[in-house]
Amino acid sequence: MFRKLLIANRGEIARRIIKTCRELNIKTVAVYSDADKNAFYLREADETYNIGPANPLKSYLNIEAIINVFKKAGVDAVHPGYGFLSENYSFAEAVVSSGVTWVGPPPDVMKAIESKCYCREIASRVNVPIIPGTVTPVRSLNELNKVIDEIGIPAFLKLDKGGGGKGIEVIRDTRQIRDVWERVLRIGMVAFGSPDCYLETQVVNPRHIEIQFLSDSSGKCICLGERECSIQRRHQKIIEESPSPVVGEKERQNLYEYTRKLVVTMGYEGAGTMEFLRSEEGEFYFMEVNARLQVEHPVTEFLTGIDLVKCQLEIAAGEKLPMNQEDIILEGHAIEARVYAEDPVSFSPSPGKISRLQFPEMNSRYLRIDHAIGEGSLVSPYYDPLIAKVIAWDITRLEAIRHLEEALAAFQIDGIKTTIPLNLKILASKEYVEGDFNTSFLEELLKEGCEKN
Amino acid sequence: MEATINAHMPGLVARVVAIEGEQIAKGQTVAVINCMKNELAVISEYEGKVKQVLVKEWDEMDVGSPMIILDLGEVK
Repeated sequence: MFRKLLIANRGEIARRIIKTCRELNIKTVAVYSDADKNAFYLREADETYNIGPANPLKSYLNIEAIINVFKKAGVDAVHPGYGFLSENYSFAEAVVSSGVTWVGPPPDVMKAIESKCYCREIASRVNVPIIPGTVTPVRSLNELNKVIDEIGIPAFLKLDKGGGGKGIEVIRDTRQIRDVWERVLRIGMVAFGSPDCYLETQVVNPRHIEIQFLSDSSGKCICLGERECSIQRRHQKIIEESPSPVVGEKERQNLYEYTRKLVVTMGYEGAGTMEFLRSEEGEFYFMEVNARLQVEHPVTEFLTGIDLVKCQLEIAAGEKLPMNQEDIILEGHAIEARVYAEDPVSFSPSPGKISRLQFPEMNSRYLRIDHAIGEGSLVSPYYDPLIAKVIAWDITRLEAIRHLEEALAAFQIDGIKTTIPLNLKILASKEYVEGDFNTSFLEELLKEGCEKN
Repeated sequence: MEATINAHMPGLVARVVAIEGEQIAKGQTVAVINCMKNELAVISEYEGKVKQVLVKEWDEMDVGSPMIILDLGEVK
């Protein structure tokens, strides 16, 4: 196992990784920008290094500054967390070529799966259903017109190497085709350095369901249940849970089979997530692979009792996964609510100083809170607005909802606005309680709120 | 008469839209601030000519940081 690990991230995920490293007696090195220099979680790391100004391009996204810390600190592994450089294969390559272990999939696999067409091609090769559309990039406007004649509209034109919800445009009218084509190409060149794009039909009222997996260097792949992530706003997830109210054992086994086939064909090693869309009719389509630890991983940890960060470290150290698929038991129901520093109605950002903070009463059997805030903490305007993840568990879904509601209601945060009132509103809605929702749920709920007022 | 347009939110300057010498209408976007990954438009409350642009892309802003000086012309 490793001796000293650098965490190329900040906030709650840095704390989360430190926690597991401490249990494994791995020394931790935290890096921080000028904006985070007084953050209390840095005290939990064994060593800390400043890597530059608040601007993330000059600090948390600055490969050179982070690599320089390797030499000073003498680390033997790097954990990238999520976001920032976690899915950047140039960073992973730079880590590996400086003789340090990358806690993540092999850089060449990261590079290949960045192409959504490559993933779609692999999926269709091994009979994993994908959203109907093109598998190879559309080469011309002429070709685009032909494909649209075949699959019909509405359809989405998506960048092969897009991300963060950028470079996805809907075509609702054949008169829009040329404009959309030109716009997507332009965004691709400017923002992602590649104009490649592909076409997909629209899945009506889909649910977003993903499978967490672990895969070691011997090719053993284990699936750890699904997570239902349909409660989102503009591709930002707000509530996640496991199991999904609409996934039965038969669907789960099918999704596991899809996941294993994709993992093996991609040559993926490490922890990862296969994202699927579920149509209203109950059909599943593979969407993409997330080559990192995900924000919502605690939901899976609650259900399986498995420490995913520990597994990531063991796989990176070349160890074999100690468990088999039949050892995985999904017990009870876990739900995570993300708390953002945003106005719960207008969603405008609310950075600032937390003047008063009171956490709900803790009972680790039913409740887990991952965060990096304290009374007097500054919530920085330079980074993601996620300030805490509140995760509740119980035998039944309704009990889990009740624990989560109680915890959120007992949370007291003054000085900044948070989305806790919105979380509570979602949890109290009839559709949510009945498990009857899709990815447009939140939009509809917010619309209702406006009409009533 | 001059007026200064200040940052209304903290964050990083994502884009400066106004250029020196340009005539600005009331309600026009003069810059964009990235706050917690949200892009927020900085709107001019005044009509006037841009005398000086004080910020550039990626500068760090606090609430009230001066961004642009407008020349409002003669007081009538």
